[in-house]
Amino acid sequence: MTHRVRAVRRLSFTVIAGIVLLAGVRPAGAVPVFSRKYQTSCTTCHTIFPKLNPFGQAFRLNGYRMPKETEEQVKQAPVSLGAESYKKIWPKMVSPSDLPGFAPFALNTKMGIIYSSAKDPAGKTVVNNDFQFPEEVNIFTAGTLGEHFSFLGEVTFGQETDGSVTTELEHAQLHINSPFGPEHAVNFKIGKIAPDVFDGFQEMWLMTDNGVDTMFTYSPIGFAGGTGLAEDVGIGLPAIVQGIEFYGVARHRIFYTVGMTNGMAPNLDTNPGATIVDGNSRKDFYARVDYKFGGMGLDGDTTGQKLPPENWRETSFRIGAFGYSGDGRGIDFVVTDPNTLTDYNQEDRSFERTGAYVSWCFKDLNVFGVVLHGSDKLQNFDQITGALFDETKPSFDAWFAQADYVIRPPFQVSFRYENLNPSDPAADNIRFYNANFSFLSRANIKTMLEYRRDAHESENYTVAGVLRFAY
Amino acid sequence: MRRIAFGTTLLLIAVPLVAGEIHGKVVCRGVKDCADAVVYVAAITGKTFPPPAEHAKMDQLNLVFHPHVLPLLAGTTVDFLNSDAVLHNVFSPDACADKFNLGTWPKGQTKSYTFKKECVASLLCKVHPEMEAFVVVVPTPYFALAKADGTYVLANVPDGAYTVKVWHPKLKGVQKPVTVAGAAAEADFEIAR
Repeated sequence: MTHRVRAVRRLSFTVIAGIVLLAGVRPAGAVPVFSRKYQTSCTTCHTIFPKLNPFGQAFRLNGYRMPKETEEQVKQAPVSLGAESYKKIWPKMVSPSDLPGFAPFALNTKMGIIYSSAKDPAGKTVVNNDFQFPEEVNIFTAGTLGEHFSFLGEVTFGQETDGSVTTELEHAQLHINSPFGPEHAVNFKIGKIAPDVFDGFQEMWLMTDNGVDTMFTYSPIGFAGGTGLAEDVGIGLPAIVQGIEFYGVARHRIFYTVGMTNGMAPNLDTNPGATIVDGNSRKDFYARVDYKFGGMGLDGDTTGQKLPPENWRETSFRIGAFGYSGDGRGIDFVVTDPNTLTDYNQEDRSFERTGAYVSWCFKDLNVFGVVLHGSDKLQNFDQITGALFDETKPSFDAWFAQADYVIRPPFQVSFRYENLNPSDPAADNIRFYNANFSFLSRANIKTMLEYRRDAHESENYTVAGVLRFAY
Repeated sequence: MRRIAFGTTLLLIAVPLVAGEIHGKVVCRGVKDCADAVVYVAAITGKTFPPPAEHAKMDQLNLVFHPHVLPLLAGTTVDFLNSDAVLHNVFSPDACADKFNLGTWPKGQTKSYTFKKECVASLLCKVHPEMEAFVVVVPTPYFALAKADGTYVLANVPDGAYTVKVWHPKLKGVQKPVTVAGAAAEADFEIAR
């Protein structure tokens, strides 16, 4: 830190700008394809979409199949791509499979009214009142391919300020379910995925419109506490990765996952001609282990459990520990020393994230949260000679707690507090309150009113009215 | 042969139950109905039964085997008819059916195969991999295909103690002892994955 100028950065405007920006790219999460396949309501799997209830969690971990699924439950018969008896003569013939008996596509549309008020660096209050109609449209595809394969895909079209549309491939993944061993014990997924290491708190599984940005969009890149929250350089926890994961459920209550990912993408600002999607040849790794006490088993097992007919209710406690190890060498970010105004190329040579997850369900209440510790090894290089100028090892601690409550199935509320403290004492901490009221006017039509306040810069806040419908 | 079995079953359902039959219901868990369940009397020690002279028939129509499940007595010959305008093939990957392969043949023609011993033979068509049927070769003439609701009748069963078995293409088979003594015996089953 001897070469580092300790300067307090005003994060507030960056933070709010980041929130408004991020509001446009939330994954939708609910997949109406399955409602058609099983001829069942969204609320079979969702407390309020996209948040999953215990059955929905088991459905997802079972490779988008119902626990102990029977032929009677599948209302849209699949198209056979080979009779089961062909298994007997493999490899003389192609192994049998099937595909959905209908085009497995669904849509999700999101409209938003975003009102934000924030102070800019000059101290002037900037107010935006924005009708984002639509804010985004998601196309989903999902289903099963025979006995051991399933898939999920999502393409999001986002409305831009100039009227253009951005397209983002958010999910494209193939799952291999229980190819060997006891059922549910070993599964694989490959592709662009939301890693299960963030099961339960990644944004696609939250009932709120805002994700937990202190977990996923914090970037340590920069001087004196890093960049703050900014998705394009986020090196907090990667919400979506390109990688391979294996995961499973053992003894109904133990969940584990281990994965390997590309890691950080090339920084196109410093490497504009990049033609590969991995920023370096190194891979990132992650792992998580959970145990669930009480309630429905993670694979849907209900042996010995008395569960109420209200499928969002159970008395359970889940606890898990996770870690993520990344390598960002060779991926340069231009940073400016605010004291000398000298530009450097900065690399996050290695970063480690370790954390713990807890979730407690009691009647209509679900309280969950994460504590996270992050450490980074930042190196600054001279932009001309490429020589190493200095190295620092900053860290940060973050946590959040969220309480979701079902007043009645159509009316649900949520409150979250999140906090991030960089180790650099000169840096501001980042704190938010987030309150949500959700109303399901129909099982597939949701209206939300969400309020978020910056607890550090208390004059900064956003209010969002959101309408989402899936079909 | 299937027509004979079904005809007998229907006749027996239409009239009051008589002595020398086994009837009951199969409950099939996890599938839409019980239509593919086969109920039959297992081998009876010291007794053999001559196969029927009449051939059983299986059709290939609209890229589907008809019937999907065909129970028959060991030694019965099955005529495989192609009623489609496309070439079809019939083969079995199962050793108990000699892994027979009848080649391909056009519409209106028939090829035959005799199922010599007790066996569950999967039937496949290499031209159309989704096509599948089962010939369930049983050792006694006391067999029936259950109705969709699971009810069945095994007709003309003489007095005696037997083992009755149930087979289904997707569910685990079960068996139980049944005694017929001058009257109709009842045996219910439940099968699941």
